[in-house]
Amino acid sequence: MCHCGQCRKQSGGIWSSAYVHQDALAISGAVQWFASSKTAKRGSCPRCASFLFWKANAEDTISFSLGSLEGATGLTLSKHIFVADKGDYYDIADSVPQKP
Amino acid sequence: MSITGSCECGAVTYSVQGPLRDVTICHCGQCQRTSGHAWASTSVPADQLTLTNDAGSNGAGLKWYPSSENARRGFCTECGSSLFFEVTGENRTAIGTGTLHSTNGLKTTKHIFLADKGDHYDIACAAPQFEHYD
Repeated sequence: MCHCGQCRKQSGGIWSSAYVHQDALAISGAVQWFASSKTAKRGSCPRCASFLFWKANAEDTISFSLGSLEGATGLTLSKHIFVADKGDYYDIADSVPQKP
Repeated sequence: MSITGSCECGAVTYSVQGPLRDVTICHCGQCQRTSGHAWASTSVPADQLTLTNDAGSNGAGLKWYPSSENARRGFCTECGSSLFFEVTGENRTAIGTGTLHSTNGLKTTKHIFLADKGDHYDIACAAPQFEHYD
């Protein structure tokens, strides 16, 4: 769960994701890639803007949003990141580890 | 009181006259797909929201997506930020809380559409939870 300012602006809230090796993800349909920094890009649907992917340029993994998965995921949260940038309008009250 | 906000890339900026409604976090399937998790929003009467920039360097700007027969979602065509949600005929605009430059002490007061919530997280926050809208 990422609480950074970029994720909060793009998602409207918090962005939750998992990641896999880039070769393990097959994409069909158009993706609008936005260079959100010098080191990473974010992919969304050009029609409805669903925020689907995050990719660090120097890494061979790709993150995908958990909100875009269909059906039960069987996943559990493992960490909150960029908590130093979190909004003031909510509290993190679960026991998942937090990183600043 | 005027509050400003923007998408991530700055192609869309806005100002809004207060007061802002408290924050609702929506866990419906549409909000999950759009946001990647759950969509947090405040809300104002539609006429209190003013777009102050709607043109990026390459013609990017605000685009409305008809997400159902009676609602639409506004996003930036450059960076994909999810900015707004409107229900036809309600004359109110919901604003993605993450896009506000200052939240001025807003509090989260409810979680909605819990019936559709993902299985990968728990809601441990004390705000009331509703299976559907309320």
